[in-house]
Amino acid sequence: MPLFAKGRSLLRNLLSRRRVDADLDREVRAHLDLLIDENLRAGMGRAQAERAARLELGGVEQVKEQVRDHRLGNWLQSVFGDVRYALRQLRKNPGFTTVAILTLALGIGANTAIFSVVDGVLLRSLPYRDPGRLVMVWERNSVVGNPYNTVSPPNFLDWQVRNSVFSGMAYVCDVRNNLTGQGEPEEVVVQAVSANFFSVIGVEPILGAGFTPENGTKGHDDVVVLSFSLWQRRFAGDPKIIGKSILLNGKPQTVVGVAPENYAWLVKDGSLTGGKPQIWTPFVFPPAYAVHKDMGRFISVVARLKPDVTLAAARSQMKSIATQLEIEYPNANRHWGVNVVPMAEQVSGSLKPALLVLFGAVLFVLLIACANLSGLLLARAGGREREIAVRTAIGASSWRITRQLLVESMVLAILGGVAGGALAIWGTNALLAATPSNLLELRAVRVNVRVLLFSTLCTLTAGLLFGFVPSYFTAWSRSAQRLREAGRGTSAAVRSVAARNVFVIGQLSLALVLLVGSGLLVRSFLRLVAVEPGFQVKNLLTFKVTLPDARYSTDSARVQLFQQLLAKIAAIPGVSSVSMESFPPLTGLGAATDVHVLSQPAGPHGELPGANVRVVGSDYLRTMGIPLRAGRFFTPQELQEEKHVTIVNHAFVDKYLNGTQPLGQKLAIYMKSLTESELTPSEVIGVVGDVHQMGLDATPDPTVYWPHPELVMSQMTVLVRTSSDPIPMVPAIRDELHQLDTELPMASVATMEQLLGDSLARSRFTMLLLGVFAGFALLLAAIGIYGLIAYSVTQRTQELGVRMALGAQMEDILRLVLAQGARLIVAGAVLGTVAAAGLSQLMKSLLFAVQPLDPFTLSAVPLFLSLIAFAACYVPARRATKVDPMVALRYE
Amino acid sequence: MSTSESTTLLQGTLDLLILKSLATGEMHGLGVSRRIEQITGGTFVVKPGSLFPALHRMEEEGWISSFWGESENNRRAKYYRLTKPGRRQLETETKRWSRISVAIARVLEAS
Repeated sequence: MPLFAKGRSLLRNLLSRRRVDADLDREVRAHLDLLIDENLRAGMGRAQAERAARLELGGVEQVKEQVRDHRLGNWLQSVFGDVRYALRQLRKNPGFTTVAILTLALGIGANTAIFSVVDGVLLRSLPYRDPGRLVMVWERNSVVGNPYNTVSPPNFLDWQVRNSVFSGMAYVCDVRNNLTGQGEPEEVVVQAVSANFFSVIGVEPILGAGFTPENGTKGHDDVVVLSFSLWQRRFAGDPKIIGKSILLNGKPQTVVGVAPENYAWLVKDGSLTGGKPQIWTPFVFPPAYAVHKDMGRFISVVARLKPDVTLAAARSQMKSIATQLEIEYPNANRHWGVNVVPMAEQVSGSLKPALLVLFGAVLFVLLIACANLSGLLLARAGGREREIAVRTAIGASSWRITRQLLVESMVLAILGGVAGGALAIWGTNALLAATPSNLLELRAVRVNVRVLLFSTLCTLTAGLLFGFVPSYFTAWSRSAQRLREAGRGTSAAVRSVAARNVFVIGQLSLALVLLVGSGLLVRSFLRLVAVEPGFQVKNLLTFKVTLPDARYSTDSARVQLFQQLLAKIAAIPGVSSVSMESFPPLTGLGAATDVHVLSQPAGPHGELPGANVRVVGSDYLRTMGIPLRAGRFFTPQELQEEKHVTIVNHAFVDKYLNGTQPLGQKLAIYMKSLTESELTPSEVIGVVGDVHQMGLDATPDPTVYWPHPELVMSQMTVLVRTSSDPIPMVPAIRDELHQLDTELPMASVATMEQLLGDSLARSRFTMLLLGVFAGFALLLAAIGIYGLIAYSVTQRTQELGVRMALGAQMEDILRLVLAQGARLIVAGAVLGTVAAAGLSQLMKSLLFAVQPLDPFTLSAVPLFLSLIAFAACYVPARRATKVDPMVALRYE
Repeated sequence: MSTSESTTLLQGTLDLLILKSLATGEMHGLGVSRRIEQITGGTFVVKPGSLFPALHRMEEEGWISSFWGESENNRRAKYYRLTKPGRRQLETETKRWSRISVAIARVLEAS
């Protein structure tokens, strides 16, 4: 077993080095004694015997050294030696070491932090069984173009029956319900799901049995599964919760399960609730859902692919089913197709571009950091020429010296990597803290094994990258020459300056790419912020009120409660006006439908004009600060009962009315039914200005406004206009609400400024982060060019001294040095601009109203970079002019 | 690798000589050295500076093993003996050596 023997010897050599050495010492000394004995036996005198023995042995220490040289693991031990030497070297140059480690720590730390987010968002495994087989199934309208439209129940039922590609299909519908009994009433996000939902996604409750198929039938559906956090918070983690009853919207429900802690279900971007679900309850379709083909689209559908079915096969079958359904039910399904999206893509989709751009940016930063260190090491190698020359002269091979230098850079890299790791842990936390809460579900983001592996890989690659060129130049230039030339700026030094020039140009151009990217985002953000929302943002408070069906079962009861509420709030001192709206503005929420302008020819659904429908309360225009362009606002009677009137916005007039008089037009708004004969047309009584209701980056859609009685909703967002900061008035408003109904929670309280901020959060976050990285890149590049020019000024001290002695003026010297820097800057700026122009295309989806090839950015940023770099050159150039010719001539 | 009368040992020959001397039984370093001198008629003198690195390397290869024992005049010394892989190695080395020597002899005869 030679391999086994070798392994054992290696371990012994490395681990019990002292024992092995002592053993060797005894062996060699015993050998000496044997030799002496032999000589004594041959008749020599004692002294002569010892002398002869020593002569034959050739020195105890030398023999031991020779054995050690041949020992297994000797190589490793000499690397340890190199490491110790490297650490000594680094300790001797604290300035260099600090700069190098800091640079690397920032580079590696930023990479690790961003990678941990990339890992958490793009690479993580979702908390469902075999998540790779899960898909979301949406409807897609070929005219409107929303690829992720929620699904109509009849279509879902038909899909379920006709497909053969899914082993299960389930549906989810987000709602908000009031949870009462036991403590403060609160509004919770509830997902009404099909009874098979948990079995399709493959999640087992940690307590209880969950839903049974029987829960999917009417009369057996009064059961709930609680989220882990709700169970902990509201029910103090009660282990006997199963079988107990809770009150949801006033109705008792039996708890049949508690979901696992790490379990979460995707909340669709812009879903009506926009919050993490806390309760799941079965949603049983009434029989009518199977018959009527003309109803709303409001459920999300998740399905599990059968084990042997590919995504492409599922897509193609679902496509043909959708085509059949479009032909069979043209009224409901014209222009409606289907969109099958893998779960992972659905979860990360909207974040992917921003994350990839940021990831690319930090990689650039690390590259720049490496180039910077390479430059520093090359400069330092200049100062170590003599040391290397002596080592070479006494027999070190070039490989040996390369190895030693590479070990030095590896030691640096590892130190930097460790510091970077620490920085990354802090950075990831800071990143999570700074991330807008609506950005992503970040609980899965943390430093894990994959992240550590990545970080290690970064570190080692960085060490090799920045160590290779300097060690190559130092170790492989001709040694004999070096002894003579050491310290003087000659051929080897010239070549290493050429390499440093390349590094500096590279750094400048990489930094430029990042700066251009960040400049584009800043421009885009400024344009976004400059968008007029179309209403007054300041001093406007919003909150949601949801009336439970159990206690507010009629439309008139709902209209009346909201009217009373608005009147009571209006009476609070400091409130200048109050109103309400069906969806809060700027949150991407809304309802839309087809509208038939009766003066125009009728058409099938899908070809009629589409419009957002927003339901509003009294005083809406004054409260929001939306200008009335023509006609009038709703009268108190129209806000009290159905009078079939509507107000349209400017975009509606522009897009659909072709210059005809809008006032007096009759509109059939397909909200309550899709059959025109069942609708009473609404008369247009006013035209108002456009509002960026869905978000600043969305163009205002054609919109029709209805007074509350026209389409009574049980959930409304109340809008309170105040004369000063609205937040201190929240308790007074809550009191008024609870005087009307103690069990109604005041939910999602936010000022309009907060909503505006949240809607900008993602853009702002990406912009800030890329800005920080670009700034860091710029700093590194500036340090890089500064270091190079400063070094070459030192190298040229003698030459500069001669020039001054011969009569060169300060300006001449300044020009001479700056010209050297200017050449590098121009090269870097040109290269960087070309690269930026190519790479900025990748950012297209992150930009608002700015083209990737924005001429302003592409000209201003290179200019800015050049100025900074030029300033960095100016410092050493100034110093060059201060050279005393006499000192310079003696310099050496 | 030092030799007397400027006879240079071929690469790998020292291993063969050591293995061969240990084939007759266990012995300490000096014994190995003297045995080689003896069987080569004094052609090869292996000095400690070559002997010990070779012994230690061969021990690491697993061809020989070592233990502490008493010498003939009651001194403690480190003894070496052949292991099973060592015997196999001796066989292969012997065969290889015979092939080489036959080949070289032919070359010399041919001229």
